[in-house]
Amino acid sequence: MKSAFNPFEMAQAQFDKSADILGLDPPTRDLLRFPLREYHFAIPVKMDDGKVRVFRGFRVQHNDARGPSKGGIRFHPQETVDTVRALAMWMTWKCAVVDIPLGGAKGGVICDPHNLSAREQEGICRGWVRQVAKNVGPVQDVPAPDVMTTPQHMLWMLDEWELIHGGKGPGFITGKPVGMGGSLGRTEATGYGVVYTLREALKRLGLDVTKTKAAMQGFGNVAQYAVRLYQKLGGKVVCVSSWDQADQTSYTFRKLDGVDPDALLAITDPFGGIDKKRAAQLGYEVLPGEAWIEQDVDILMPSALENQVTGETAKKIKDRVKVVAEGANGPTTPEADKLLQERGIFVIPDFLANAGGVTCSYFEQVQCNMNYYWEQEEVLAKLDTKMTSAFRAVADLAASRKLYMRDAAYVIAVSRVAKACHDRGWV
Amino acid sequence: MGGSRPGVEVERILEALQERAKELSCLYRVHEICNHADASLDEVLRSVVEVLPHGWQHPADCGARVQVEATVCETPGLAVTPWAQSAPIRVQGESVGSVSVFYGKAFPEADEGPFLKEERKLLETVAERLGQLLLQRHLLDTLQTLPAPASLPSRRPRGDWRIIVDFLRKTDPHLLVRVSRRMINHLCWNGVAAAQDLLPKFAGTRPGEVTDENRPIARRSLESLRGVAEEAFRIAAEHLSSEEIVTLIQKWIKDEKAGFLTEAVENQGTSLTEIAEALGRFQNAGLEDVELSRAIQVELRVGLARRFLTDDLDFINTAKDYIEVRDFFDLTRRVVCPPRSHGRLGGKGSGLFLATQIARKSNEFADLLGDIRVPKTWYVTSDGILNFIEFNELEDLYNRKYLEIDQVRREYPHVVQVFKNSNFSPEIVKGLSLALDDFEDHPLVVRSSSLLEDRVGAAFSGKYKSLFLANQGTKSERLAALMDAVAEVYASVFGPDPIEYRAERGLLDVHEEMGILVQEVVGTRVGKYFLPTFAGVAFSNNEFRWSARIRREDGLVRLVPGLGTRAVDRVADDYPVLVAPGQPGLRVNVTVDEIVRYSPRKVDVINLESRTFETVDLAELIACCGPDLPGAGDVLSVCEDDRLHRPMLVDWETKRNRLVATFDGLLSGTPFLARIRTLLKLLAEATGGPVDIEFASDGKNLYLLQCRPQSFADAEASEPIPRDLVPARVVFEARKFVSHGRVPELTHIVYVDPDGYHALPDLASLKRVGRAVGRLNKALPKRRFVLIGPGRWGSRGDVKLGVPVGYSDINNTAVLVEVARRRGGYVPDLSFGTHFFQDLVEASIRYLPLFPDDPDILFGEDFLRTAPNSLAELAPEFADLDGVVRVVDVPRATNGLVLRVVMDADADRAVGFLSPPSGRPAG
Repeated sequence: MKSAFNPFEMAQAQFDKSADILGLDPPTRDLLRFPLREYHFAIPVKMDDGKVRVFRGFRVQHNDARGPSKGGIRFHPQETVDTVRALAMWMTWKCAVVDIPLGGAKGGVICDPHNLSAREQEGICRGWVRQVAKNVGPVQDVPAPDVMTTPQHMLWMLDEWELIHGGKGPGFITGKPVGMGGSLGRTEATGYGVVYTLREALKRLGLDVTKTKAAMQGFGNVAQYAVRLYQKLGGKVVCVSSWDQADQTSYTFRKLDGVDPDALLAITDPFGGIDKKRAAQLGYEVLPGEAWIEQDVDILMPSALENQVTGETAKKIKDRVKVVAEGANGPTTPEADKLLQERGIFVIPDFLANAGGVTCSYFEQVQCNMNYYWEQEEVLAKLDTKMTSAFRAVADLAASRKLYMRDAAYVIAVSRVAKACHDRGWV
Repeated sequence: MGGSRPGVEVERILEALQERAKELSCLYRVHEICNHADASLDEVLRSVVEVLPHGWQHPADCGARVQVEATVCETPGLAVTPWAQSAPIRVQGESVGSVSVFYGKAFPEADEGPFLKEERKLLETVAERLGQLLLQRHLLDTLQTLPAPASLPSRRPRGDWRIIVDFLRKTDPHLLVRVSRRMINHLCWNGVAAAQDLLPKFAGTRPGEVTDENRPIARRSLESLRGVAEEAFRIAAEHLSSEEIVTLIQKWIKDEKAGFLTEAVENQGTSLTEIAEALGRFQNAGLEDVELSRAIQVELRVGLARRFLTDDLDFINTAKDYIEVRDFFDLTRRVVCPPRSHGRLGGKGSGLFLATQIARKSNEFADLLGDIRVPKTWYVTSDGILNFIEFNELEDLYNRKYLEIDQVRREYPHVVQVFKNSNFSPEIVKGLSLALDDFEDHPLVVRSSSLLEDRVGAAFSGKYKSLFLANQGTKSERLAALMDAVAEVYASVFGPDPIEYRAERGLLDVHEEMGILVQEVVGTRVGKYFLPTFAGVAFSNNEFRWSARIRREDGLVRLVPGLGTRAVDRVADDYPVLVAPGQPGLRVNVTVDEIVRYSPRKVDVINLESRTFETVDLAELIACCGPDLPGAGDVLSVCEDDRLHRPMLVDWETKRNRLVATFDGLLSGTPFLARIRTLLKLLAEATGGPVDIEFASDGKNLYLLQCRPQSFADAEASEPIPRDLVPARVVFEARKFVSHGRVPELTHIVYVDPDGYHALPDLASLKRVGRAVGRLNKALPKRRFVLIGPGRWGSRGDVKLGVPVGYSDINNTAVLVEVARRRGGYVPDLSFGTHFFQDLVEASIRYLPLFPDDPDILFGEDFLRTAPNSLAELAPEFADLDGVVRVVDVPRATNGLVLRVVMDADADRAVGFLSPPSGRPAG
């Protein structure tokens, strides 16, 4: 009898695998397999029609041994606590792998913003904060935007938290707009982070970045900045891809002597769709959406959606490909992962490669706490330092213990958290 | 040549002109005095005497005298001399006094003694005006209290009807007879027996006959009838109060005065031009239909509506409460029609005219609706097309509609060319030319206004053309372009689409006539473009609800920047902004990503330089002239840092490429939505059913462009649910959140089994289900299958909540069904298709939420689970998912039946059931 898919059980299984490699003792396993704390509460909100509706809210703090826990708040109509537990655990590993002093958490409210007016949503945000005001804050637990929550929601929550605590505390929450406690460099952070780790990977493989070529899937925020930085380092991106709203399909835009992100951006609509007619006029070949994966390049950067490198498509990967840098979340299916491993392709796993975002959130919080905001160069320089050392630690471990990169990243994250729990005398 | 003669000539002309000016100014002043309703007759006469001498050649030596019966007014110290001229004042043909002018000394001989012939004319005109004034006052004053001008100063108690009757007997016995007859009728209808006895005495003597030849006999009969009249009023006095009698008489006398209009309207022989003339007389006589008796008032209103607007009974029934006779005054000035026309304005023209009057006459909502405007409109009547066909001898065309549709389609381009190369009759050319003088070079839209629209509803109207004209250049260029457009719209009557549509509905034999509306395009010129700041359509009933909290009656607005064409039609490559006026806070798109993705990117405009209708990119328009567009700040928002905010002054320069059309300013900072909501409510209440309106704004004012009963394109038309459905044949049933729709012949069902789906062990398998659906979407016949799955299709959060698909994975389905099964005590929320809601709307894909665990809900789960599964055939690579994804080939599984889905929002019920293919009755 097959049991139904349960995201929390999946996250636990992933943890168990790393724990086995590490040989963790039972109490540490017991501690880390479950959240440290969970808050479940009711949020009564006066609706526009004068009636009161009660929403269910929660906050799961998986682990804060390394520092204040950090994680998003989701507004989702069918949120299940198991999903939130899984995601909170994931945040613990994500913060640990880039070695920032934060733990992992996640929270949410069961609601569908599509069914709520802006005023009602404000009521939910403020109600959520009122219920956990004593258990969250810059030195306890730091929320951020997530599914269906926006910077506007964060500002309402911040305002309520500050009202309750009687002072300014912008470090309570991240994802705020610049000028309202947000950090510069956030737009670039994820894309740049991918390339910082890629640069280190190439060094390790003894490849000269200026002699490499890359194929990019996507042309969203992550992809655009990754292309820019990679080309600045001297590499050549031969193609990007984007979704075409009118045709309901995606296309690959190829230019073998290197794409020009500025020229493409000028013909891209606000949601990342490239105008294929005008691209053709600019000398781009317009190929089917899947064509990016079969390019004769050294590097693949899937930076669009989940499940793009599958058992099927992975077979099309050219022999020349040495590195896959996962800009997107979960772009590689387990089936494809095995194939990549067999072929000896160096994979920079998603939660290391795209950790630039969470690192920048950490920087936002740091800047807020000292009420001193850095220039963009400073943010990006610090980001480079963090990403580089994170990559080195994972790659070193992978090399020394002969681990697949993805496993090494998990193992290093779990070991750091486990060590913090030991050091504090918890287990 | 002596230089003096022309000089003398000029002097004489100047002198003459000065005289004319004096006379005219005198006449104006007399008119002014007479129009002074509050002044007593004495005052009026005194003033007239004062101003009169100024109109004569030698005012210093001129005196005047006015005598009305016993009243005499004259210039102080007037000397009666032989140098005099005089004119009688007549009331109803009888002399009641005179106006005279005297010169105090001799002057050189002119046309009539010392007087000019123009002065004679002036004197007579003044006398006539005084006569009218007296008649008017006699009637009015008498009706109120005053018996006769002679006894003006002595006011009698109000409502003494005897004086009126007395007065009528003296002045207009015919009128008295007719009024008496109506009094008798009135009494009879109120069951007064004595009045019934009087009826025979009127027998055979219709008022019309009384006045004709055989005068002696008629007089005798008149005499005797007077006796009957006395009798009638005697009886009336026993049954009615004095006030009642006065009111009745007052009404009837006014009705008599409106008689010519009633006659013109009721006589089916009169042409529109003649009716228009009668309306002109009615207007000049200063009559108001509200002063007429209710019956005559309604008769006139109904008659005018029938002749000018439509003979649709429901329409007329509403129209008579809102459209007054005076409302036609302005309309008739803007009607272009062939000679002897019996045409009408057609559906669109009439609908807009009625809606305008309803909105204007609402006192309750005057503050919200008071300044809603209607663009200047000219109408070509519906028989204009017949005139055009006749004028160009194109009668052969009438039978083309009976040809095979393919032939019609093939030949249609030629028909269009023939029409465009034909001529209009001189009357129409003249009319259109007048219209252009009125419009000047304002851009125009030429719309069809068909008579068939009345019969079959708005679904038909889209089949005919609407054309935009830049209306630039010389008058002859503009006229040529206008005629070209009218001809093209005429040609569309013979187009394959309307003919096919009519054939399908058995309307082919109806003689189609089509009116034309020539309307100013609402908007402003920015750069080389002309466009409204925004435009759109609004519906009383929301058939695309994106949240369970939105009720059907909350309505729906589709908004776009620029011309409304992009809101009226479904546009595959762009999205209008959707709002429910009754729930403005609940928006389809919530996150910034969604709002940006589903925001309008293109704008329809009129290019005044190339004189064409164009679609331009919003970004381009903003770059060239964004800030110049009035009210652009209400339409656009700046998107930055994952947030949207209204543009500040500096943003036009620095953040130009981050501007998105959200309408946030309009929706949250102006009363726009409240006005649309009120307008929809008011129009729906007045017309007795949901409506569909088009509107536009030039950034300052809101204009109503169209109003018609809300009806639906084929896919959205409702159909009653069959009563005698065999439960065994019902595949699914919904009793909540149902919209209108019908999907007649579905051949396949794709069913994602909720239990099977939830039992899948890992993420990868769940995601494969999404890919399998995407594969089936491409393999199955387009719009011939229904997708049924658990929870929220396209959920972006937890895949457990619904099959992970993108819009491209489901875009060929006809109906998207979400099943909410009860799990552990609660029923999950459904998505209402929010993840790609706007895509569904634009593609006319229907959405249905099912709650199979609710009481009395039929759900053919067994059929879905046991029918043969075609998955392996259609998508072999996903054959292993056959326990989760089931594909039912309906005809194969049911021996030739198909699945029909009927959705009835009125009953809030939808059913998908197995039925024989069309043509055979359901069993």
